[in-house]
Amino acid sequence: MPRPIPHTLGLAALIALALTAPVAAQEPVAARASAEAKEPARESALVSTEWLEKNLDAPKLRIVEVSVEPGQYERGHIPGAQNVVWHTDLVETVSRDIAGPEKFAALVRKLGIDRDTTVVLYGDNNNWFAAWGAWVLAQYGLVDSVKLLDGGRKKWEAEKRPLDTRTPEVKATAFQAAQPSAGLRARFADVLAVARKERDEQILDIRSPDEFSGKVIAPAGVQELAIRAGHIPGSVNVPWAKAVNPDGTIRSTAELKALYAAAGIDGSKPIITSCRIGERSSHSWFVLSRILGYPVRNYDGSWTEYGNAVGVPVVNLAGTVWGGK
Amino acid sequence: MTAGFGEARGPAPAPAPAARASLARLAEPLGIAVAVALGLGIALSAQRLAAEPGGTRLGLSLVLGALFGFVLQRSRFCFLCLWRDFLDTGDPRGMLGILTALAAGLVGYAVVLGAWMPDPSGTRLPPDAHIGPVGPVLVLAGLAFGAGMAVSGSCISAHLYRLGEGSPTAPFALLGTTLGFALGFATWNPLYLASVSEAPVLWLPRHLGYAGSLAASLAALAALAWLLHRLGRVPGAAAEPASPLAAIFVARWPTWIGGLAVGAIATAAYLRVAPLGVTAEIGGRTRQAAAQLGLLPERLEGLDTFRGCATAVRDALLTSNGLFVGGLVLAAFAAALAAGQFRPAWPSPGQAVRGLLGGLLLGWGAMTGLGCSVGTLLSGVMAGAVSGWVFGFAMFAGVTATLFAGRRLRLIP
Repeated sequence: MPRPIPHTLGLAALIALALTAPVAAQEPVAARASAEAKEPARESALVSTEWLEKNLDAPKLRIVEVSVEPGQYERGHIPGAQNVVWHTDLVETVSRDIAGPEKFAALVRKLGIDRDTTVVLYGDNNNWFAAWGAWVLAQYGLVDSVKLLDGGRKKWEAEKRPLDTRTPEVKATAFQAAQPSAGLRARFADVLAVARKERDEQILDIRSPDEFSGKVIAPAGVQELAIRAGHIPGSVNVPWAKAVNPDGTIRSTAELKALYAAAGIDGSKPIITSCRIGERSSHSWFVLSRILGYPVRNYDGSWTEYGNAVGVPVVNLAGTVWGGK
Repeated sequence: MTAGFGEARGPAPAPAPAARASLARLAEPLGIAVAVALGLGIALSAQRLAAEPGGTRLGLSLVLGALFGFVLQRSRFCFLCLWRDFLDTGDPRGMLGILTALAAGLVGYAVVLGAWMPDPSGTRLPPDAHIGPVGPVLVLAGLAFGAGMAVSGSCISAHLYRLGEGSPTAPFALLGTTLGFALGFATWNPLYLASVSEAPVLWLPRHLGYAGSLAASLAALAALAWLLHRLGRVPGAAAEPASPLAAIFVARWPTWIGGLAVGAIATAAYLRVAPLGVTAEIGGRTRQAAAQLGLLPERLEGLDTFRGCATAVRDALLTSNGLFVGGLVLAAFAAALAAGQFRPAWPSPGQAVRGLLGGLLLGWGAMTGLGCSVGTLLSGVMAGAVSGWVFGFAMFAGVTATLFAGRRLRLIP
């Protein structure tokens, strides 16, 4: 949900956008499309709703919905799409971790996905959980073959494209998974080293400005789950929603570059994305790593790990005290 | 039969003197005109809602609620009245109508579930189907709900359609229901920690497969139907109504026709919006109000992880369950007007007290049982939930015991 950002950083981002937006607006649609077609990174990361509808029956293509609202997939999904439940399928349900190699491989085999399969992920809530799925898949080596549906469920529905309630039957594969690569995931120690200025990396906190400043510990309607308010020292705030257009599609590459550059992030230093539990930040992870090609890791421990840790430095601009003043 | 329960018995053809007859002649076209206007109003509102972005489910929910209310009113689909028909006169037709609804819904759900979850044997449950924990607390909830039905004169869904018929008891019963929900929230945590948290969530298709579950459930319904026939007595055939129009809009439908329609609406609602239920909105709004008044426990343990009539605090003005209930009441009002069955009456003190007290029990039972005769019994049994059957048996036991005791003490007519 885009909210006004009162910081100078946000203001700078707006100015930068204002400078680039008129240029984008003057471009004819066709010219813009062809300009984007020349971006191999973007083309590898995203597919359009139009492309997907034309390629529903393509061989070696698997469509997977990762939505958060129960019943969303069942009451109508993109024809041929399969369902993955993010909070049971892609994670360990007892310990807090992404799905281990065995569990992950069993899921991927059942979905009929192999290393040469093109996977299109989509979901509700602006593809938050689909992006999170892409991050988990990437750790197991499924990177370039995995794409997000630009605009997600929202755009597909808004364009009144067909939906189906039947579950497809696919042939299982023999996919094998090794241990997940550690290169895409930031751990507590990494973040703490940055907070203590022992390492020269950038932390991008994509929560709302009120969470970032410490005015609130969690968004409305969500249990606090953290004992302290505020953010990790040295992190900058660019809410995830700034990376999307009103129709849910991801903004043009030039707009994205300007957006993050205004916050001092230009890909010259390693980046760590962080939020509350690590799913919204996967969205920004996807944008930064797959579309802009920046070196970026997602910190899934996020504020529910850091904000509960003992003896770590915290910036709490609002001065909120947990449990009352 | 007293005034308080007269409206539960269906249209009693009162002898009309000449003056009243002329008044009735005037009121009849007016009632039909208002009913038609209401029907159009509901249709146009649904159309408008559906045109809003993301409003398809809201519009559809309003339409399904209206259909449900129309069917309930036309077929007098009131769990208490139908059971009392059987107890008092041995007429099994009403109860057979309820079994018809369950059978039709079971088949419809099986078709939907088979497409949504081809393999029911894993650890997963079908999305938002009303499959709840089975244990002593569920039995207690069913008993209390049944007692509340006997005291207040019907269950929650029937009070809602009776509200549209101008019932003097229904407003008190519904007020009592919200108080009962608040009481239920207050007693939830100890019950959850003592029992509910360890109660198993039993889903028949997981153990028997879809075909096995469907066959077993239909066989159980057939056995109950046989028992009702055996113990009851079908009265002689009534005269057929003259025109089809009168048969649909004026005469009471046989309950089995209502049952078939309820089964179809339940299937459509599950396929497109959510399982049938009438208490989610009442519960959610009560929870919101209780939280604002500081009457709610800090945290309701485990409540939001269970399936059933979810009482999650509402943040939207219009919710699909709210529209469903609104459509139900309005359509029942329109149906009653068209049929000449809208008979508002001034409540007697006895009706007010019985309504409030019975409503309190209804509300507590529906909160603790995670739904009522619609949400837990109908939608549960149709989905293959053991909780639906257990709640149903406990509910009818509660009704029967309370009726016998109350009548003996001359507290209940």
